[in-house]
Amino acid sequence: MKNLLGLKAGVVLTTAFGIILASGITAGLAFAADAALPAGFKKGDLSPEPSADMIEAGKRVYFTKCVWCHGVDGAGDGPGADRLWPRPRNFNQGTFKIRHTASGELPLFDAKKPVAGQNDLFETVTHGLPGSAMPSWEGILTEEQRLQVLSFVTTQLVKDRKFTDKQSESQTILQLGDLKPIPATEESLKKGAELIVEKKCVECHGADGRGDGNAFNLKDDWGFSIQPANWHKCWNFRGSRQDPYNVKNIFRTFSTGVNGTPMPSFADNTTVEERWHIANFVNSLCEREADGTPLSIDQLTDKPKVNFVLSSGVVLEGGEIPADPEHELWQKRARRIIAMGGQITHKPRNFVNRIDDIWMKSLYNDKHIAFMFQWDDRTKSVAEGKLPWGPTQVNIDVKEQDPKTGEEGSIAFRQNNYTVYNDAVAMETAVKWKDLPAPIKPRYLFGSNEQFPVDIMKWEADGSLRAFKGTGWDKDFEQRDNYEESSKLLFSEWKNGRWTVIIQRPLGNKKDQDYDEDTFFEMGQYIPTVFFAWDGHNGDAGRKMAVSAFYYTFLEPPTPREAYIYPIVIAFGVVLLEGWVLTRRSNKRKGKTTL
Amino acid sequence: MKALMLVAALIGAAGIVLLAGMVVGIVPSNTVRLIEGYMPVQVIAELTLFVAGFTGLSYMMAAMGMVFPRFWQGILFWAFILLYLKFRIYPPIPFSVRAMYGTVSLVAIFMWVSANEEDWNKFKQPIMNVLDAKTGGKRLLRYAYLVILPILIGGFSYNSMVPKSEEPIELRTVHPAPPASTKVHGKTYTLQTSQNPYRTNLEGKYDQDYSNAMTVEQGMGRLMKPNANPWDKDAQGYLKYVREGGEIFYQNCHFCHGDNLNGRGLHAFAFNPIPANFTDPGTIAQLQETFIFWRVSKGGIGLPNEGFPWASVMPPWEQHLTVDEIWKVVLFEYWHTGYYPRTWD
Repeated sequence: MKNLLGLKAGVVLTTAFGIILASGITAGLAFAADAALPAGFKKGDLSPEPSADMIEAGKRVYFTKCVWCHGVDGAGDGPGADRLWPRPRNFNQGTFKIRHTASGELPLFDAKKPVAGQNDLFETVTHGLPGSAMPSWEGILTEEQRLQVLSFVTTQLVKDRKFTDKQSESQTILQLGDLKPIPATEESLKKGAELIVEKKCVECHGADGRGDGNAFNLKDDWGFSIQPANWHKCWNFRGSRQDPYNVKNIFRTFSTGVNGTPMPSFADNTTVEERWHIANFVNSLCEREADGTPLSIDQLTDKPKVNFVLSSGVVLEGGEIPADPEHELWQKRARRIIAMGGQITHKPRNFVNRIDDIWMKSLYNDKHIAFMFQWDDRTKSVAEGKLPWGPTQVNIDVKEQDPKTGEEGSIAFRQNNYTVYNDAVAMETAVKWKDLPAPIKPRYLFGSNEQFPVDIMKWEADGSLRAFKGTGWDKDFEQRDNYEESSKLLFSEWKNGRWTVIIQRPLGNKKDQDYDEDTFFEMGQYIPTVFFAWDGHNGDAGRKMAVSAFYYTFLEPPTPREAYIYPIVIAFGVVLLEGWVLTRRSNKRKGKTTL
Repeated sequence: MKALMLVAALIGAAGIVLLAGMVVGIVPSNTVRLIEGYMPVQVIAELTLFVAGFTGLSYMMAAMGMVFPRFWQGILFWAFILLYLKFRIYPPIPFSVRAMYGTVSLVAIFMWVSANEEDWNKFKQPIMNVLDAKTGGKRLLRYAYLVILPILIGGFSYNSMVPKSEEPIELRTVHPAPPASTKVHGKTYTLQTSQNPYRTNLEGKYDQDYSNAMTVEQGMGRLMKPNANPWDKDAQGYLKYVREGGEIFYQNCHFCHGDNLNGRGLHAFAFNPIPANFTDPGTIAQLQETFIFWRVSKGGIGLPNEGFPWASVMPPWEQHLTVDEIWKVVLFEYWHTGYYPRTWD
């Protein structure tokens, strides 16, 4: 009986397999007939309409979770929209960015098939769109609920097109599963580097791929400002699908284009091989560890993991701290990522911080400590003429974005139309930190009060380096006496979308510096440090800026001599202990045998 | 009995394979998600399952004639627990906490292997064998230990003496004691007696039972009750206020606390600690509505010292919102997470 069943199942299976095979062949014939298809694509069928139950259930999900940004009619105009950049998607036109389908086509969506690679919208909801406010809904909504809400969106909120209309819609699907990636050899990367120039990628994405090319005038289909991707931050790629170092994501986006944006599909004018070379090259640009391994990504935030200790390396034997970032000492020094968020505590709040991280390095010698700031900024911004406020003024006339403005006044519309101020960075360290019982610090935003002040050093793109004393978030800075003279700007340069700035300042001693105003850096101690950054083209000035959390500057002490002596003494002690145990055991055994 | 043991053995083997996959990184540690709030129960349940599994495994092996010495059982089980704590649990727990759990489980394993004289002798037999070194192999092992142990311990002590920089541990009180009253926009609110003016029934009376019945459903997804849509054009009273609170939330708060109120907003990655997760049963579900009102109004700068006011970027919302707006946001946060505010009695 059992055998019979098995036989039957076998027959069914073979028949099914045969049918699939046969249909595959016919599909292949059809494919051969339709020579116009771009390389790597195949014709596909439109998915069936989701059931009415799914749509109805999806409405409930939509009005609990999505309506707040995407709006009642799905026009991307919910209550949150005007303060967001990128602006939430307007579903009405059926324009979706991340797809496996040819340029201009609707994305893949099938309410019955939550399969990776075959259901673009499901993957977008599952993994979110990094670099925008769209979060990953995996673990929040069940798979069923995600399919339900998409059933609602695709049938009720996409109004200008119809996912099931065979007359007007077609599906030409990138066969990403069947295309084997080309290994990222040196040769492949070299070809990729040539191709991104030949295919004019650099015109928008910039010579070094930091998105600084034609960063200014780009608009999406709705007239909202949009910027080219920065290839060095792959974790911010919208299509990174929580797997940012996977070259397939880049291949897909490059092959299908990003609907609704100036990013075209390159499927028609590149071969599959060329696309792999380009994808490999773009992928190779993403920030990595010194040994070439990908940065570890924090699963909670989908951004690189942050270590809150910035350790400063010693320059031995009274050597000078080099002013050239290419110098061996700087090159060898480990770097740390400083995560930056918008200053959203006090007015004017900065809802869109265009600087979201800074790479820091630090070196010190017997007199000075130097900090190298490196951060990506698509635009070099230097204010034209004199700024309408003094350098110590904190409470200045910069407006924050109103909550409800309509499209024309929204943050996404106003980007790149702000008055340009100076790009700038600053670091804030606690004054008299040794007198504060740990973990107490001055408040992260410009200090607490006169009792807990902070030492602020600020560099601006006009070339100035200033030292201030901060005594509270709403108190204007106080200029410090002679600190600027003893500090030095070693280097500053904006090149292809990246600033590099090196600031040198005294370590601090009671003879030359003021203990009540200046931070004294001591070896082996944890010195509370906060970083600030301003993007002049974002209209950043005063408190409209990007801020970090509290970090610690730590001056690495040279290895003490005890570290070599004590372990040997301890090891010797262990040998003695071993001898004692063995002797005892053998004595006991002898005792036992004689008994 | 035997079938039961077989099932258990399969579970045990599966557990080992899964964990091995997690250690080498083939199996992501969130394959089976640890659900926020139920994590401890889930972890204990999983470990209990594995204990049963290993019991079955050792029984089956014994039945097949492969007796696994108690000594190695103990050591391997401890190793399993340590690896489990490190690689299975996500988000990862700090080393100090893992060390604590590791010590506790070591003690437990010692209690198990020394439950009676016979067991204890069985357990220590392999150690004694090496000490006695009666065979050539054992003698070799003994010499190896004699050499390796001092080197290892010396190495460890060198490692601990070389200057290193680790983030100092700072223990922050997440919910510091609130003041008796707070003054917002010129009016004093006594925390014990104040009420959310928008938590009202259709007659306009404060009614927590009414609002609790309209809040979102607990369980996966936390969706609204089918007939309680705040976006309904005819929504009145409580539900209308929920929508107004939500509008304020998505214009102001989601940047840090996230679209799903889980503390993973746009700017969250920059801050330490990351913003509060309201869907966790340890935050607003534990607190009174007036406590939230005080925290929202006064922000990080208004915290007492044990709450680390210097590190909190929470805005004092009285600078940005009116009293009514703050109450509505609080109302929305409870609605969207499906929690009931705690009462003072």
